[in-house]
Amino acid sequence: MIPFVAVVSLRNEESRTFRLWIPLVLIWLLMLPVVVVLSPFIFLACLCCRVNPFRGVAVVWQIFNALTDTQLDVEHRSAGMSFHIV
Amino acid sequence: MSEHRRQILQMLSEGKISADEAERLIAAAEEPSAAKSSDAGGRGTGKDRPKYLRVQVDSEDGGGHDGPTKVNVRVPMRLLRAGVKLAYLIPTAALQKANLAMHEKGIPVDLTQIKPENLEDLVEQLSDLSVDVDQKDSDTTVKVRVFCE
Repeated sequence: MIPFVAVVSLRNEESRTFRLWIPLVLIWLLMLPVVVVLSPFIFLACLCCRVNPFRGVAVVWQIFNALTDTQLDVEHRSAGMSFHIV
Repeated sequence: MSEHRRQILQMLSEGKISADEAERLIAAAEEPSAAKSSDAGGRGTGKDRPKYLRVQVDSEDGGGHDGPTKVNVRVPMRLLRAGVKLAYLIPTAALQKANLAMHEKGIPVDLTQIKPENLEDLVEQLSDLSVDVDQKDSDTTVKVRVFCE
């Protein structure tokens, strides 16, 4: 399943934490028409590079699916940042 | 020190066994416990395959101006496997160009011979990967750990 939400947490020097929930599903929905419009060009580019376009789409889809649970934390005395794809 | 080890060293000190025999006996005595601990860790077994590749960086500023910085990255192994599949999409012509460039640099590797299953095996073997780097400068200490969990 592709990830639907990304959580970004920001901490400032006063230990105040701001948590931002990014609805990735909206980004995917916005990107969908762009991908549909660009798909003939992507298909042609794949053919020019002698790459199976269906295989390419499958691999990209698998990468999107595997993004879930990716986490990045950066902690510093004065600030901190955390990025988590749910 | 375990009882077995103490007995073996006692026999060695009494001259009952040679140093080689003592070494063999100690190795044999330690073998079951090593096997047990590796089973407990679950590495290499199909059941407990690692789920994440972790990269931890701890940086400490000796001067105390900035304070310590910690970076923690957790990448799902599924993402690595999916990323490796991107290699399937590299056109043969590009691989040949890369081969040529590597040969010019004195690296005799034929990338066209790398099959998708080889890359899958490579990711599988990452479960045993553990990299620890400690760097100490005059005013900074950096520790990097890369491991699977």
